Parts: sequence; C-alpha cells; structure tokens
Amino acid sequence: METILEVVELTKYFGGLCAVRNVSFALNQGEMLGVIGPNGAGKTTLFNLLTGFLKPSGGKIIFKGESLVGLKPYTIVNKGIARTFQIVRPFHQLTGLENVVISCLSQRGAAQANQGAEEKAWKFLESVGLSGKESMLAKDLPHGDLKRLELARALATEPELLLLDEPFAGLGLKEISSLSPLIQKLSREGHSIIIIEHKLRELMKLVKRVVTLHFGEKIADGTPEELSRNEKVVEAYLGKGGRTFATI
Amino acid sequence: MPGQENRSVFTSERIGLLIALAILSFVPLYIKDRAIVELIILANIYAVYVASWDILCGYTGQVNFGHALFVGGGAYAAGLLNFYFKVPPWLTIFIGGGVAALFGLIIGTPCLRLRGPYFALATFAAAAVPYGLTDVYWEITGGLDGLYGISPIWPTLTGKYYFSLLLTVLCCGMVYAGGRSNKGLILKSIREDEIGAMASGINTTRYKLVAFVVSGFFAGVAGAFYSHNQLHVGPETLSVNLSVLVMIMSVVGGIGTITGPICGAYLLTIFNEMLREWEELRLLIYTATVVLMLIFVPKGIVPALSEGILRLTGKRKGG
Repeated sequence: METILEVVELTKYFGGLCAVRNVSFALNQGEMLGVIGPNGAGKTTLFNLLTGFLKPSGGKIIFKGESLVGLKPYTIVNKGIARTFQIVRPFHQLTGLENVVISCLSQRGAAQANQGAEEKAWKFLESVGLSGKESMLAKDLPHGDLKRLELARALATEPELLLLDEPFAGLGLKEISSLSPLIQKLSREGHSIIIIEHKLRELMKLVKRVVTLHFGEKIADGTPEELSRNEKVVEAYLGKGGRTFATI
Repeated sequence: MPGQENRSVFTSERIGLLIALAILSFVPLYIKDRAIVELIILANIYAVYVASWDILCGYTGQVNFGHALFVGGGAYAAGLLNFYFKVPPWLTIFIGGGVAALFGLIIGTPCLRLRGPYFALATFAAAAVPYGLTDVYWEITGGLDGLYGISPIWPTLTGKYYFSLLLTVLCCGMVYAGGRSNKGLILKSIREDEIGAMASGINTTRYKLVAFVVSGFFAGVAGAFYSHNQLHVGPETLSVNLSVLVMIMSVVGGIGTITGPICGAYLLTIFNEMLREWEELRLLIYTATVVLMLIFVPKGIVPALSEGILRLTGKRKGG
C-alpha cells in the first residue's frame, strides 16, 4: 500500500526541553493510526509539527513525497492535511453553517467544490449529524456538537489525511458511541486518519495500529494487542509494577 | 429559529439604511441653514472614516490606533497635488485613496507580525511619525498651520453636499457589501480565532493585509475629500485625536457591523455640534455620555437595536 505520510526522526525542542525526540513512523494511504501516551508525552506537539503550527528542530515530514517542514499551516491544509483540536476552536459568533463555509472557502476546499460554498457546507454538516443546527451560533452549541462541528470544518477542506486530536475528550459514552461510527465511516471512505486519544478502550476499537509516545519518544508501534503486552507501554501508563494494560 | 433572527435583523438593517439615505437625500432641499448642511457633510466624511476602520478592526480584530495615518495620507496627497500641481479634485481623491492604500500595505506588512497591544502601539507610532514630519517639512506642508487654498470639489454647497453623499454611499456601500460577502466572513473568522482560521486553510496574513489596504484606501478617499471640503489640509488630519474619535464613534455604534460605526459617526458628530451651546461643558458632557453609553450599551447602539427588534418581533425570547 502507498505511503501517504512519512515522519523521520522528528524532533522538537522548547528551550532545553525536548518535547518530541527522533520520532519516526509512516502512515499508509487509507490507514487509521492511533497515537497514545500519558499527558506530556508530546502527542499534541506532534500534531502541531505535522500541521505547521510549530517548526521542527530537526527531522523530516514527507506528505505524498513532498516535505512539509517550514510550510505555513494553511499551506499544509491546502496540500490535504486537516486537523481538529483537543480543545475545540469554533468561531463562536458565527453560525454552524458559517463555521464550515470558511473551510469551503479555503483554496483546497474551493478548488474541489463543484457547488457553492454554502451548499457544500450544508452537506458536511449533514454528514456529521448537525443538520437542523446550521443556523445556531457556535457559542450556543453543546460540547458534543462542537466536536462534530470541528470535524465538519476539517472535512470541508477536502483532506486526504485527517488528524483528530482527542475527538472523544469531554464526551459521554452515548456521544462517543455515535461519533465512533462516523470516524469509521470516514476511514472506509478512504481518508487516512491519525487519532490521538486518551480513551483507550474506544480508540482500540477503531484502529489496527497504535504508536505510543512517552516523554517525547516513540516507545512502541504495533497492534493494540501487541501494545497491551508491551512492558514499556504498561510502565508508561501504570508505572513500574503495572501488570495489565486492560485495567487502564 | 436563529436563521430567521438573522434575516429579520438583516431586513431591518436594510430598511433602516434606506430610510437614512432618503432622509440624507433631502437635507439640502429642506434645510437652509448652511452650517447644518456643512455639519452633515462632515458626518458623511466621518461615516467613511469609521466604516473603513471597522472593516479592518471590527472584522479582523486588529485594533488600529493610527487610522489618522490613512486619513491624513489621503488628505495630504490630495492637498499637496492640488496646491502645487493643480491636479483636479476628482483625480486627487482617487490618488489620495491610492496613497493611503499604499500606506496600508507598507505599515500593514510589518505590523501584522505583532499581536494585541504591540500591534496597537505600532499603528499608533506609525501615525505619529508623519504628524511630526509635517512640522519638519513645514516649507512644503505649511507646518502646523497647514496649507490653505485647496480647490473646492464643487462650487455650490448643494453640489458639494450631494457629492459627499455619493462618495459616502459608494464607499460605505462597498465596505458594507464586502463585509457581508464571503471575504467578510473570512475576516470575521480571523477575528474569532486566527489559529482556527488557519486550520481551515485560510491565509490569514494575506486577508489581514488586504483589509489593511482596503481600510487605507477608503479612509484616504474620505481624507482627500475632506481637504477639498475644508479648502485646507493640516496636521489635524494625522492627529491622535482623530484616530481616537474614529474608535469612539465605532465602539458607540457597534464595532464589527459597519452600519453601527456609521450610525455612531452621524450621532456623535451631530451631538458634538449640539453641545456647542454649552461650550465650557462640552467636553465633559460629551465624554460622560460616551462613557455611559459604553457602560450601558457595551455592544453599541446598532447591535442593541437589533436585539430590541428581535424581542419586539418575538423572534427571541429573554436575554
């Protein structure tokens, strides 16, 4: 299968602190990859590096054969990588529809549209289950809907690679069980996806491969089953003496 | 339904604009007092100043403390060209706009690397420098007195009034239409969350720079018209007072709405003139009124009116 993203020895220093150290992995076209790790492991920093919000101190990011290092966030979006944020960033004073229209007006979103921005935005809102809420201001939407809105905004840029930063954070079981199938559907539709998630049970049901970060370093890369038996991963989460990953 | 709310406000806003335009169209026909007509001409000019400020500051959230740079840039470009080279006013107005747009590009490029108070201070400083230069190069600019003898835009008061109204309608109309277009929506997204806008694939720097240039152009056009209206160009067009006045008018009217600042421009220009009867207390009353409005109507007059209309028409319940 064709590699869509290749991360080679990616490193990021904040002063003397190394937030991401020599992280390497590759992602195949259409693959869904999980990224886990305790708080401060460097997961969100990794996303910020991949999306151009931070410049790497070293290493390479190759997307479809092209280096992304040094590119601006909007350029990276227009090359086909979209992201959501751990803490949602809606345009509070704009309606749900307007929030998505913005993405439809991006260079890539507009170029791939064969219809008007509003019409296209409607389609994406509908696809994430927000039809009927298009006229509500984002500030009035509940948290679960904001997560969906964030996803709609990312999708409206017509990405090939989708980076989801803790899509289940702050959601109840019912909301998670309705969002999970949506993410699975996106994967089936051919999107390559990387998900950072702390809710491991839900994540393991979604992905076939997981990369684990700890203190900025990659300590494991394998299937959920392999990870559950990996001593380093168990230790990172439970400390020395932790026995079973399933208890997390 | 909120969508109906938006349409209702939009319709009310348009009706309000048409009524205001109708009233303004009849001013010179029914008002024979020359001073009042001159006052409305001044308000027309201020309307363009504030609308041009709002498209940059109200829409993108970049608070420009040096809007007078654009106004003065346009005014001096028009004044100097007309005074020394006898360039006709209809041409100097466009050149004034162009010069101010160029200032927008030159100042905007470095300033947009800054955020918050640093951006505000940089814009403030950018306007202060040319103000000082007018005194340094007094032999050309006329120094603190400025230059007298700029050609009038129109020989009659009525003609001048309608020219000012046409200019106001055109400039404010274009800013209004731009603000309500998709481009305006993008500017609003930058104001709401620049990182979020970038994550949506928007080149925020380019849009902010365009907003700077557009803001400069329209302010420059109005500034150029001002110099032909006053038959004089002086450093007051570059002063901090003017920048602050534009901001006060915008905030009182309701920033980020275009119509709000325009409304604020007319109300405060007329209110300030009415206070001339109590000259010694004028500044005190004016300031107290503005402060009270900021306390009790913090969103501005137009947004408050919009909410009032929604409540009256029963399309929004409660707060």
